[in-house]
Amino acid sequence: MSSPINKETLDHLAKLARVEINAAEEEKLLHDLQKILDYVAELQGVDTTSVEAVTGGTELKNVFREDTERENTNQGAGTEALPEIQDGYLKIPPVFE
Amino acid sequence: MNVSLHNLTIESFHEGLLNKKFSALEIAQAFFERIKESDPKIHAYLDLHEESALRTAEAVDLKVKNDEALGPLAGVPLAVKDNILIKGTRTTAASKILENYVASYDAGVIQKLRDEQAVFLGKTNLDEFAMGASTENSAFGPTKNPHDLTRVAGGSSGGSAAAVAAHMAVAALGSDTGGSIRQPAAFCGVVGLKTTYGSVSRSGLIAMASSLDQIGPITKTVKDAALLFNAIRGKDPLDATSAQAPEGEEPELINPSWDKVKELTIGLPKEYFIPGLELEVAEAVEEAKRAIESLGIKTKTISLPHTPHALATYYIIVPAEVSANLARFDGIRYARQGTADERGPHADVRGNKNRSALQEIYFTQRGRGFGPEAKRRIILGTFVLSSGYYDAYYAKAQQVRTLIKRDFEEAFKDVDVILAPVTPTPAFKIGEKADDPLAMYLSDIFTVPVNLAGLPALSLPARAQKYADRTQTNADKLPRDSASSQRMSATLPIGFQLIGRKFREVDILGIGQFYERITKTTES
Repeated sequence: MSSPINKETLDHLAKLARVEINAAEEEKLLHDLQKILDYVAELQGVDTTSVEAVTGGTELKNVFREDTERENTNQGAGTEALPEIQDGYLKIPPVFE
Repeated sequence: MNVSLHNLTIESFHEGLLNKKFSALEIAQAFFERIKESDPKIHAYLDLHEESALRTAEAVDLKVKNDEALGPLAGVPLAVKDNILIKGTRTTAASKILENYVASYDAGVIQKLRDEQAVFLGKTNLDEFAMGASTENSAFGPTKNPHDLTRVAGGSSGGSAAAVAAHMAVAALGSDTGGSIRQPAAFCGVVGLKTTYGSVSRSGLIAMASSLDQIGPITKTVKDAALLFNAIRGKDPLDATSAQAPEGEEPELINPSWDKVKELTIGLPKEYFIPGLELEVAEAVEEAKRAIESLGIKTKTISLPHTPHALATYYIIVPAEVSANLARFDGIRYARQGTADERGPHADVRGNKNRSALQEIYFTQRGRGFGPEAKRRIILGTFVLSSGYYDAYYAKAQQVRTLIKRDFEEAFKDVDVILAPVTPTPAFKIGEKADDPLAMYLSDIFTVPVNLAGLPALSLPARAQKYADRTQTNADKLPRDSASSQRMSATLPIGFQLIGRKFREVDILGIGQFYERITKTTES
């Protein structure tokens, strides 16, 4: 499965990822991604029949705690860095426009 | 004050402090002097916290004066990788997108060290968001190897390793997702501990690949690594993946008993001693193995058959997690100063007619804020998770990851610790791999399996005695070129790693401490 990424898929992926990529970056990125995907394609040859996939990184089980009120949250911290605030919320341009 | 920063360890600092050989303030000031003198050449630090550091040192000195009890970390000057939050200070992850971000809380490890009254000298350089093996991906320029300024310090915790190696900190914190503590430690000739997944809180660590990221110490000695690890480990309610430290282990961790250590068996995985391993590295690792055998510890050859697939597995799983973790940076909340007004039409933006004003900010700010490697991983991660490719790439990689974990589980039925090289080569030249991401990825080949399996691993200098006292001036004196690299790199550090069972840092630190006693000639 060599080179499944072409210019169109790259544009689409950049759109999904909300990252602007200019023309110069695009060429290099396409070249690099193809090389990396060619390399990782070797996994296709590994027999993984009935092998379970890893999910997460620990063997920890769910731990439950009482749903009680807690103090010392840092709600509101960090808002001083926001460019524009209204009623304690971050103000952004219209979403639908 | 008559003390050399070269020989200062956490252990000897504590001793000197209690014996009033020096004050914490004197030492902290001496470190800032040294940083100001040496760091312009090395670029280990991104930010210095001089004022708060001196204040903490004074508070420690007051305790000494009043004969109050002091922990082993009190007053110890530490460097902290700049992807770990220290409240009220800039934390950039070496990315333009966080250039002006000021942390609003302390990371879990910082909170613990603050309780111990450790002194934070400043924040160290890294590859952007910890993605890289050389710090060349830092948005603020690379860190240079203190042993040879034309070479990389390694990465991504290159700043932390270089700061310790160049005596600009007694010890440091780094983070290791695929080798980012062990590889720079190996390149800079210091000790690095990648801790068991879950053993140290990641609260306040800027996430790169959450199923792999782990914070750990970079130090001058194995004993120091044990002391710093002991101070930062344990359960943190703010990190659901963190686990309670094994009970009653502390005395053995700090002062291992030979009776226990000598019973351990070490395995040498044949898949790590391959043609790609440079002869010089193979020889140094062999030397370390023989030194350990001379102690009376038994070694045997083992097999970890899926090792050759670890790197491909890693470079599917990591970008996938990166694309999710970096989605939170919208370019608004931690906006770079002045950039709010820089928006506007961009000639080469495709499809921008269809974007809302909000989308326009996302595309523009993320496009400008992320460097090439971050973008590469975001796009690659988006691809391997996308419909139609998920099973072939991501799901497949997570299956192979199970096989890699099982290899280790099988091996640990037979041996207690695994010994392997950390890197295929010593530190490479700055620029050598910068334009070739795959070549850069390949330098992680011996370190990523440990992260995929969630194991602890200790990187320590092989042939430590050969360069221990030469750190400073080599770089200025010796011209190097690739033709003579074989001969010249005789002074470059080489590392080997001891890999342990989950939550058995005590085994690898134990062997490490006894190894160090017979190979290190200096200190205290």
